[in-house]
Amino acid sequence: MGGPTCRDSVVEVHDLDPQEFLEQVHSFEFWFHSVEGYLAGTQYGHRAASREQPLSDSERDRLVTALCNYCVGETAALEGASGLIAIAPNRLAKVFLSTQVVDEGRHLEVLLRRLADLGVRDPEAEVERRASASIREFKRRLLQLVGSKDWEAALFAQNVILEAMEFTVFQTHARSADPVTAEVLAGIVKDERRHIGFGENELGRRLRESPHRRARLGEVKRDLDPLVLETFEKTVREIGIPASERPDLGRAYLAAVARLGFA
Amino acid sequence: MADFLSGYSIQYWLESAPQGYLLGTEFGHHAGEREPEALLEDKALREQSIRTTVQLVVGERCALAASSGLINAAPDEGSKRFLATQTLDEARHVEVFTQRLFDLGVKKAELEGVIQAHANPHLVRFAEVLLEKVDRKDFLGGVVGQNVILEGMAFHVFEMMHAGNENVNPKFAHTLAGTIADERRHVGFGENRIGGWLREHPERKPEIERMQRDMSYHMLATFAEAFRDAPRPEDVARLRVVAGDGGAAPKPATWQGRRLDDLPPEEMEALLAGTVLKEFKIRLERIGLQYQTPARP
Repeated sequence: MGGPTCRDSVVEVHDLDPQEFLEQVHSFEFWFHSVEGYLAGTQYGHRAASREQPLSDSERDRLVTALCNYCVGETAALEGASGLIAIAPNRLAKVFLSTQVVDEGRHLEVLLRRLADLGVRDPEAEVERRASASIREFKRRLLQLVGSKDWEAALFAQNVILEAMEFTVFQTHARSADPVTAEVLAGIVKDERRHIGFGENELGRRLRESPHRRARLGEVKRDLDPLVLETFEKTVREIGIPASERPDLGRAYLAAVARLGFA
Repeated sequence: MADFLSGYSIQYWLESAPQGYLLGTEFGHHAGEREPEALLEDKALREQSIRTTVQLVVGERCALAASSGLINAAPDEGSKRFLATQTLDEARHVEVFTQRLFDLGVKKAELEGVIQAHANPHLVRFAEVLLEKVDRKDFLGGVVGQNVILEGMAFHVFEMMHAGNENVNPKFAHTLAGTIADERRHVGFGENRIGGWLREHPERKPEIERMQRDMSYHMLATFAEAFRDAPRPEDVARLRVVAGDGGAAPKPATWQGRRLDDLPPEEMEALLAGTVLKEFKIRLERIGLQYQTPARP
């Protein structure tokens, strides 16, 4: 074996030199070790013992609509991450994105299963019927960026904007959701944290080396922000966030993007 | 179709692979296992192992590009999700075989140069034929090329290598065992998924059969070149004696009823090519395609 591995409990990855750090955290081994902890013993994202909480018809209806929108977001993430593998600049980025592909596929699977558990007969058709125009348009523009093979712009849209949007919404929704949905969303949020970390690390390094790229990413952000904020508006209504907490959602998203210097 | 795809869900994959046969492994093998000292100390054998492992990395890089590229061409959510698990399987294979190159002494900074220097041109062309289909978002052609032809070939190559290494290099044999288990799932998906589509699109058959003929040609040419510089039986015998730690040599390696240790490289090549082609014909017939014999490389 070469150097220390992430399975070795004495290794603190943040003490490693930058290249060795990337070798560790952008590996199947690291992913495997990370997800083992919170996915072991779960079935479709939650423990078998988790109890369903009775929902009123209108609560159930709003939850179904929210989950349908999440499914479009996760399909965008699955197709975006898989498309990014082809244009990733090195082996470590390709391997990391492969772990992200399976994470996104899992998210889509657990959300579709949640819809089925809520009594939706044909979840995929329901997603088609209910998903909002703004999240569909976001997906279209993201895949356009991936298709144009613009690595920085596509990664920014995927691993910073989309992931930060999902992270913010899912974390907020998990606080007020029924126990099963909350557990499913909490597992997804743990994955999103890893994906955002990759995006910030990769783009942060590139921006330090070539600050001129910032202008291009600023354009992407300006283009996508209205869609993100519109999606937030619709989602907060569906998941019943009190009016007093609503501005926090937009602020939390903007704070995540601001860490890369985009106010 | 829903029932068929439920056997290829991410939940099933999580339970059978990461939480199943990969549990407790490190880069695909048991923790603490190493390449045999005898192999690392023998320059000719070590270099031959590096050349062989480079072909595995090249093949797996192709499989990673193909499976991830096919996700966006897949016509339904279930297939997309299966291909997501295959993408990560292939990335894991790239990772474990790359790690083996490091374990064999290749320096990280030299990795791409070593791969470029040793990649078999026919294997590269084999990959290009497949990736042309993937680039065109041709799901049908892509899945036949990837999950039936490439994975079918890899499955038998890994099985043969596994048989040859089981008693002399447990570390590498364990790495191969995990990849064989993955490949079996991938081949199963290809066979199950494609038959129905080909019945719906019979007009695609000639073109896909042409692709099979081209890929088969490059596969056979790859085998021919790979075995040209394979270790002779006497080199393998030397490793087996040392692996036996000076005592009785490990039991002989057998595959497809033949003792691999006794076979000269040209007979090993014929055995592998014959096995792969025989299986190809059966698989292709099962999905409704006629095997096309390529020109002799």
